[in-house]
Amino acid sequence: MQSLSKSILWPTWLIAQQELQASFASKRGLFVSITFILIWTLLLFYPIRYSAEALHNPDTSSLMLSALGMIGLEPLKNWQLAEFAIYWIVALFLFPASSLLMATDQMISERNRGGLRFLTLRCSRGQIFFGRFIGHLLIQTCLIVITLAITYLLLLLNGSPLWLEGLQIMPLLLLNLVLVICPFIALMSLLSVVMNSVRMASLMAVIILLLGGLIVNFSASYLPFLSLLNYWIPGAQIAQMAQLNPTAALFTLWNPAMQTLGFLVLGYGLFKRQAI
Amino acid sequence: MSALIECHNLTKVYGNKTALKNISFEVQTGQPIALVGPNGAGKSTLFGILAGYMSATSGETSILGYNVGSPELIGRIGVLPQDSLFDPNLTIMQQLSFFARLQGFGRSASEQEATRVLQLMQLVDIAKEKVTALSHGMKKRVAIAQALMGKPDLVLLDEPTAGLDPENARNIRQQVIALAGETTFVISSHNLAELERMCGQVLHLDEGELKTQKIIGQQAEQQSAAYLTLRLQANNTAIGSAIKQLKAVSEVIAKQNDEFMIRYDHGENSILDQQLLQLLSQQGIPYRQLTHGQSLEDQLFMNQR
Repeated sequence: MQSLSKSILWPTWLIAQQELQASFASKRGLFVSITFILIWTLLLFYPIRYSAEALHNPDTSSLMLSALGMIGLEPLKNWQLAEFAIYWIVALFLFPASSLLMATDQMISERNRGGLRFLTLRCSRGQIFFGRFIGHLLIQTCLIVITLAITYLLLLLNGSPLWLEGLQIMPLLLLNLVLVICPFIALMSLLSVVMNSVRMASLMAVIILLLGGLIVNFSASYLPFLSLLNYWIPGAQIAQMAQLNPTAALFTLWNPAMQTLGFLVLGYGLFKRQAI
Repeated sequence: MSALIECHNLTKVYGNKTALKNISFEVQTGQPIALVGPNGAGKSTLFGILAGYMSATSGETSILGYNVGSPELIGRIGVLPQDSLFDPNLTIMQQLSFFARLQGFGRSASEQEATRVLQLMQLVDIAKEKVTALSHGMKKRVAIAQALMGKPDLVLLDEPTAGLDPENARNIRQQVIALAGETTFVISSHNLAELERMCGQVLHLDEGELKTQKIIGQQAEQQSAAYLTLRLQANNTAIGSAIKQLKAVSEVIAKQNDEFMIRYDHGENSILDQQLLQLLSQQGIPYRQLTHGQSLEDQLFMNQR
């Protein structure tokens, strides 16, 4: 423990831990987290539960499958666990959104009030930057674990005999979802460095995600090589993942891994030189 | 042994404005060092560079032999930054003990360290408060407390007593003097009388240039010219000409109607102070203060006339 406390990793862990405490041990953080979990519980116990039941029921499953086919999600019929199949689709789209919202202010407010000056005397800027990223990643991971646990509870409440399969698929879903949200949190780490207000950082993230693809595709119609920039838009692979089972989806995760690395290297490079 | 702070040709440019112009100086560990100069002279910029908050445009800076920003300096420098606020969502104890943990203290030791520095600032009672519940002066004292955590080798205090009531300002001066043996303080302030009481050396910045670096009071010891500063209880400008008649007095400057700076040759008349008191007694003029040497203000500004 003593040697760990002297190491580079210990301050990084302390910074990450502080983010976790702010989210789960402070009144404000706890309010946000409980609200998030309540929303998920409502989603799981109503839309997801009824959708799963409809998939199970022979009378309605054909209707559900044709509806899923219409939106390109027909492969979901191959899932044994309907609850987790629906969870997979919802989580793939909702967790990136919650990651963006909750990880917006990794450093902006603190830098504006001068609080970072107290930290840089006691640890390196790298430890602050990566500590904050890891902290937010852990917050989202905790929320994913909680929602997976609720989904599993739903599976048991529905009387499914596939409780063991449910336990087996959960780590795979967790790994997929954590890797999916990584570039979103890393993008907010980068925007926390370059933007001066939380509002502007959120706005910039929305512009990058919603308009980025349009701008890149438009530019690529004149300069085709620019289509490569699509690989740098977070979530570019999510639509493809939604059609795959979690094992197959792992093979698409090189893209978010690359994006995460790129955003973090760029963000850290800028933060290291930034006047605070 | 390397100097505490070494700056070589330090320049900082913001857009069109040059905040620091080719500054070079070296200071050693020891008595507190005063950093003085008018607003916009570059004091906070110099502090910012020394603390690693910003990088210099050119030049080199090292502290304790390490380049600014080196991992070796982490935890060895304490800073009271200007206009920096604590997290409004956490208590003072939570924040200070977190800082201590980052500096390598264990869980319980970090709370003890936080309590120690709060005690120095007479703020133990507010340890469980959030920063939003504190007055301006209390916030500043908490910020000074965090600068003292872990007994750093160097502490930079930017305007430590600005906005504080006299009693708390006095407490901070006393703490600086008491801790001066184990920590070297560099103090930026506009209160020259306060700096004079605490510091042994002064760095005078003006318009981004280093105008003076001197040991306070050194001039009187090294040169034959010495100074007495006389402050009367009431206005009396006529006494000036009588003082000038005393032996070895070369100049009497009326700083105000009740205050005079007397320049004389100490080698020629080492008992001028006694003669001056006799003169005042003979003429029935009550005095408030008679001090040897010049005030820091006079050393920095009167001699430039």
